[in-house]
Amino acid sequence: MSMIDVKVAAVEQVTPLVKHFTFVRQDGLAFPAFSGGSHVVVSMNVGGRVFRNPYSLMGSPADTSAYHISVRKQEHSRGGSLFMHESIEVGSSLQITYPVNLFALAKKAHKHILIAGGIGITPFMSQLFDLHRLNANFELHYAYRSPEHGAFADQLKASYGSQLRCYTDSQGGRIDLLALLSKQPLGTHVYVCGPNPMVVAVIETAKNLGWPDNTIHSEQFLSPGVGEPFKIHLKKSEIEVHVPADMSMLEAIELAGVEADYLCRGGVCGRCEVDVLESDGALLHHDHFLTDAEKASGKKIMPCVSRARCQKLVLDL
Amino acid sequence: MPLAFKKETFRDNYDYSNSQDAIKRFPFPFAEDQYMYSVNIEPHVKGKPGSVCEFAFDVDEHYVGECLDKQITLDLDRGRYAVLPHMMDAQWDFVELTMEALANDYPEHFSLKKDGLNWTWENKPLNIKHSFVFGDASTMPMDPFEYMSRQVQGDFVLLDQRDDTLYADGGFVTSQADWSLAFDVGMSWREWHAPVPRATELGVMDRALKYLMNIQLGSPVRRLNWTMTVNPRLDTSPENYPLWGTDRNTVNPENIEDKIHLRVELQSLFRLPRSNGIVFSIRCYLISLKELATYPRWAKRLHRVQKTMHPDLVEYKGMTKFHPMMVEWLSQFDDGETLSVGTQPE
Amino acid sequence: MERGYWIRSKPVYTSLLWHEKATSHLIVAQGQGGMAVLKLLQLMHPKQPITVLYTPQSDADYSKTLLKVVPEGLHILDTEEKILQKLDSTLHTLYMGMRLYIAGSEDFMWTVAKVANKFGIEDAGMMKELTGTLARPIYCVHCKAITHDVTTNIGKCSGCGRMLFVRDHFSRHLGAYMGLMVDAESPGDLPEIEEIYP
Repeated sequence: MSMIDVKVAAVEQVTPLVKHFTFVRQDGLAFPAFSGGSHVVVSMNVGGRVFRNPYSLMGSPADTSAYHISVRKQEHSRGGSLFMHESIEVGSSLQITYPVNLFALAKKAHKHILIAGGIGITPFMSQLFDLHRLNANFELHYAYRSPEHGAFADQLKASYGSQLRCYTDSQGGRIDLLALLSKQPLGTHVYVCGPNPMVVAVIETAKNLGWPDNTIHSEQFLSPGVGEPFKIHLKKSEIEVHVPADMSMLEAIELAGVEADYLCRGGVCGRCEVDVLESDGALLHHDHFLTDAEKASGKKIMPCVSRARCQKLVLDL
Repeated sequence: MPLAFKKETFRDNYDYSNSQDAIKRFPFPFAEDQYMYSVNIEPHVKGKPGSVCEFAFDVDEHYVGECLDKQITLDLDRGRYAVLPHMMDAQWDFVELTMEALANDYPEHFSLKKDGLNWTWENKPLNIKHSFVFGDASTMPMDPFEYMSRQVQGDFVLLDQRDDTLYADGGFVTSQADWSLAFDVGMSWREWHAPVPRATELGVMDRALKYLMNIQLGSPVRRLNWTMTVNPRLDTSPENYPLWGTDRNTVNPENIEDKIHLRVELQSLFRLPRSNGIVFSIRCYLISLKELATYPRWAKRLHRVQKTMHPDLVEYKGMTKFHPMMVEWLSQFDDGETLSVGTQPE
Repeated sequence: MERGYWIRSKPVYTSLLWHEKATSHLIVAQGQGGMAVLKLLQLMHPKQPITVLYTPQSDADYSKTLLKVVPEGLHILDTEEKILQKLDSTLHTLYMGMRLYIAGSEDFMWTVAKVANKFGIEDAGMMKELTGTLARPIYCVHCKAITHDVTTNIGKCSGCGRMLFVRDHFSRHLGAYMGLMVDAESPGDLPEIEEIYP
């Protein structure tokens, strides 16, 4: 996989939990332009162990001199976000992938309703540049816990004024989804990024109102999560790999020196899909990619986020 | 390798031929004695110096002739170019991709100077020089996509990615092997590939789609496709089928070596940055049977491939009328020698 | 053509069925499509508001029955032009969650679809029932004219007069099947012309 070596040019504490990082290229060249909603996967070497986490690009897609990401310190971080917060400073070196977009704007939509919760604001930051440039009809609805957690709210108010509505939970602010989605003109698309309950609520409300599936967009990166340790057998490579409790299958496979495909590492894109040749227990599917039928078949698994509870698991790798 | 651009025609008197160098670098597609339809996609990485895959977009001795033929075809039928309104970002992505590639890879023929968004493009072989503002279509003499499509060999289709599929939402198509852009524009991947027999059944198209939707910025891919054409004609379009359809009746054992051409498409796909679209580039290479047979290994291989071709594919590729005659002509080169796997000429 | 081989560009039409989840329903029908509307209403009168736009044809007119069955929101229009105008003005007043149902000839359905497309409604968001006739609109790939109501395997192009073989390849944006000159390789040599789309 092609990677870009970057250097941290600036770090800013945006809220008590969110830090904003500015990257420039080590080779001094320009970054590629990208499309609003794209993310990159950042590789972090934490004491010899490599973490690879996806983060949305936040800057203007036309600005190729620097890339911007924001990282929320996760309460149950396995190490990635904690490392970004505590060990990365101006001058640090990192590796990132080329931008990938799994949360693209629908170019044919007549109107765009963006709904963000907390750190879920990040993919919208770059989309807003595109919407503004294309003179599109849009509204941003941004909900956060309390005023000090409203990352970039002031900046957004200054840029987008009447197209922005903020909802502060501590002050009783709530998005009335039913009212918001009941009276939208034909051709409207809705986008949501935020905590799981919010994403589910938006999708359910829109579906119940009869919005076609292809007008409802969401992005929710999963972190691999912690589980019980288990063992896998890789058929083509002819090796056994131990997957520790705090490591994903994909990470363990990579650590064993086996090259596996991946893109988002968050259970969304489907790139790391692998065939299960044999298993004698339960596959614990956590991804958003496989269909229910595929999950039930026990023939496929997404090693970036999913795990297993079994004695024997043979993968086609 | 210094390039001498040839004066040639791809219609009427068909004044077209390949130099010895061009024959040697021809992208012969058959690595084995039997042909199976497959997706055979690989990374579009830099190939050997002098090969057609050395650079992202290959410029060869036919460059000037092909660009002129594009212009003639488009003048006769504006429907060969079409793009839907939501593809403007993809149009500029295409301009950036092609201008940067040509200027970097062929500095003696092309140059690109950038001062912020003020760009100056120079194309020496076609005698074009133009300054414009990147992203401002009013500073271009025509659509940005049309502008550069006229200056790069091959056909181009702009694909939009949405609803878990790819849509052919724009194209510049003047050297197609029997498909119509005016008819197909706006179609989804499955609709667009509808008439390929055996492909749907094998699930080939669904797997290919999944793969293509994951193409990454900076990591283009390519594959070869092929057919056989009567005469070195680039425009074998359904639109002009009345013009070239009867050509199939003109083949006889005396002229077959000059008339029948192996037509190979080097298809490459690039993710586009601003639009998140994909450009599908279809570059056509033509070689007559006579030219091809200058390498006996290729003649033997082609004989075996054609002899064992499934009848559905013979029909689909439009070869029914001359197929037995072609197999017969090729058989004179085949001494039954075992050929190793590979597409090399010798 | 080999058996079991299905051209994926050919649209699949179904019987109209209510979308359970909707804020409103808009039904557009022509001639024999009136029967499809009646069948739909036999199933249920949904709780959300419905609008029915209907244009009768000389050989199929369900206006009288529809007037009895549709309590409100029925508009009977006597030409295709008028029904398309009414469709346009109606779509301006509706919100996301509106579900669209179309019944009629293939030509009619894709003409309606084109109006809906302008409002950002994609083809996947419309339910279509083919009624009355299998006649096909044919796009001549040579002169770009569309010939309507072709009922035979080979039809004469209304634009350039060429005899066109009707290919099973459908373009949604043109609302027509591809027609390709049938005797280009052997001029004048025409296969037997048969009615296969009555």
